[in-house]
Amino acid sequence: MKSLLVLLALLPLGLAYYQLESAIDPIKMLYSYTGIGAIVLLLLSLVPSSCKRVCGLNWLRYRKTIGLLAFVYALLHVSIFIVLDSEFDFVTIFEKSFKKPFIYIGLIAFIIVLLMALTSTKKLFATYVKYHKAFYIALSLALLHSFWAQKVAGVFEYGIVFVGVLLLGERVWAWRKYT
Amino acid sequence: MKPLHVNTITPEALFEARRHFLKLGAGALVSSSAISQLLADLPKNSSLTYTPDPNPIKLTLNTEEQATNYVNFYEFSTDKTAPVKLSQKMKTSPWNVGFFGDIKTEQMLEVDDLIAKFGLEERIYRFRCVEGWSMVVPWIGFPLYKLLDYLEPNSKAKYVKFTTRHEPAMFPDQAKGIFASIKHPYVEGLRMDEARHPLTFVAVGMYGKRLLPQNGAPIRLVVPWKYGFKSIKSLDLIECVDKEPLNTWQEQNPKEYGFYANVNPKVDHPRWTQAKERVLGKLSKQDTLMFNGYEKEVASLYAGMDLRKLF
Repeated sequence: MKSLLVLLALLPLGLAYYQLESAIDPIKMLYSYTGIGAIVLLLLSLVPSSCKRVCGLNWLRYRKTIGLLAFVYALLHVSIFIVLDSEFDFVTIFEKSFKKPFIYIGLIAFIIVLLMALTSTKKLFATYVKYHKAFYIALSLALLHSFWAQKVAGVFEYGIVFVGVLLLGERVWAWRKYT
Repeated sequence: MKPLHVNTITPEALFEARRHFLKLGAGALVSSSAISQLLADLPKNSSLTYTPDPNPIKLTLNTEEQATNYVNFYEFSTDKTAPVKLSQKMKTSPWNVGFFGDIKTEQMLEVDDLIAKFGLEERIYRFRCVEGWSMVVPWIGFPLYKLLDYLEPNSKAKYVKFTTRHEPAMFPDQAKGIFASIKHPYVEGLRMDEARHPLTFVAVGMYGKRLLPQNGAPIRLVVPWKYGFKSIKSLDLIECVDKEPLNTWQEQNPKEYGFYANVNPKVDHPRWTQAKERVLGKLSKQDTLMFNGYEKEVASLYAGMDLRKLF
């Protein structure tokens, strides 16, 4: 079941590879595939615990897999920035790009997800689980980053914010009920 | 049942003649409507006669497929490819453009009249979008100064204001009211000396043919040393005015977009650097040139101006 989930989640990457040759704006296309992939998976990783509370289905065993998949997409997204978009020009990356809120907000989100991925092994998770609440910061920053990626936000950008607010709202509501 | 009387029966010859006539009539009806339908569907004389650009600096053209399938046309959609399908029913002929403001005689002219008046030439130009992508396109049209010479702006005219057609039935985003992606109708502007510069171009075609709807048919502006959003599409009005027009993107977000919008690799967009660009169809990037490679021709227009402030 988990391997099916992984296969399904990585399918868009196969599609991106297939379309790369004929893509009109290939770098932009790769940014979109990996960025949308990362943000959708980040949102999906919130679904299992909501689902357990709302409809009683226990999908918690998939949460870590979804989270790691989100990290893979985010890692690819950052790689495109460094390799294809900046062409390893670290002077420009550090002196110009990282000074722009659009870029450093995405970077902070990525570092949080990276640290979560690194502390996701059974042993480390027990120690660091309390810091995994930082996920909510990462998600909020990632949503803001995707808003800023467009000249003006469209249906998709508002859509993911709506879903994000829904999933976070459910948590706040559940937390208020139990305390 | 009443007995059938011989003289109520149609004689055989007449009967045949009527059948023949009906057949003919039906055939004619079908074929003429089919033909007129075909004629209506055909883009009216879609190939153009023009003076070709010898391309002395050997710019490498992007393909027609790339330039016609990757557009920013927010009147249809904020997506880059969606306008291609959404615009196919756009009626671009006849199309009158209004000329108003501080000119000798205010008037309306049809696009074909403009073509007849000013003739057509090809201009192979670099095109750089503020979003960081670029292409090289062979436009067909006439320089704006020819039109301005004809309109004879008076001494009060300091700027030229351009407006896209406002027709919500044609442009779905204009019908969305407060949910529209940008404020409509789209407005752009140029200082009179910029407008009169020989590079400033009014395009009615590209790649040897009339503009396709998604590229701003039937008539649009092309200002090659400025970011693409200055090159306003589907023109409805050209007005000569005394005050600097507030262009749509400046109104939308004045911190990010200015009036001038000159391509400048040294002045970043607040969200991304403008030093390099993605040429459509390529995985590698190239350096963005000052004034998009037209520095020699246009730099004097901005002598003494702080291009960081007046971006």
